[in-house]
Amino acid sequence: MATDREDARWPKRLYEQGEEPDPRFTLANERTFLAWIRTALALMAGGVGVEALNAVTGQPNPLRTALAVVLLLAGVLCSATAFTRWMATERALRRGRPLPAPRLAPVLGYGLGVIGVAACVLLFVTGI
Amino acid sequence: MAERPDGPWDPGLQVERTTLAWLRTVLAFVVGLLMLLRLLGHESVVAAVGCAVITLPLGLLAGWLVWRRYRSSDQRLRERVPLPGGGLPAAVTVLSVLAGCSGLFYVLVY
Repeated sequence: MATDREDARWPKRLYEQGEEPDPRFTLANERTFLAWIRTALALMAGGVGVEALNAVTGQPNPLRTALAVVLLLAGVLCSATAFTRWMATERALRRGRPLPAPRLAPVLGYGLGVIGVAACVLLFVTGI
Repeated sequence: MAERPDGPWDPGLQVERTTLAWLRTVLAFVVGLLMLLRLLGHESVVAAVGCAVITLPLGLLAGWLVWRRYRSSDQRLRERVPLPGGGLPAAVTVLSVLAGCSGLFYVLVY
């Protein structure tokens, strides 16, 4: 029964290697993946919200559109890497190797700082 | 079926916390969807209602899938067999990328 379920799991090439880790680590990895997805969704919501201001104010501002595009692209990047990172972490857990470094985290941290400053500048320039 | 132990299988309530993380994610999707539908409603009410009829049941489906994953994880841990695989995470990733693309469509094309 166990082998049936093991064979059915996807992606196969992930589950072929190494040994089954402590289920708590697998579940923690899943929660981290979901946290990244929610971060991606928040970035996207921010992007759409910034763009919606263009419609509300009736004064389209290219800077606002640029900010919206940056936020949305960051969201897409975040969601795409969330899954590859989930897989890399699961692989490391199965092989008993160290976990992969969160490469996107510093980029996102500093990037969001820059975006915050840009949003403040935009606020002072447009008043909205 | 393995006998039910007294209390949770581990004091950390891992499966429950993971299920709650899934539910928060589904909720974030639904809220984002409502926001997009509201914006679409400004352009065309018919299109917004049409999209709502198609997409909002997906929220219910997602809730059901999360519930099923919870049951399955709990059962597998009690039977000491491996946890479910990466199918649902992959599906969520695809949906999230699609959501970002529809946001980009709204910003760049509209």
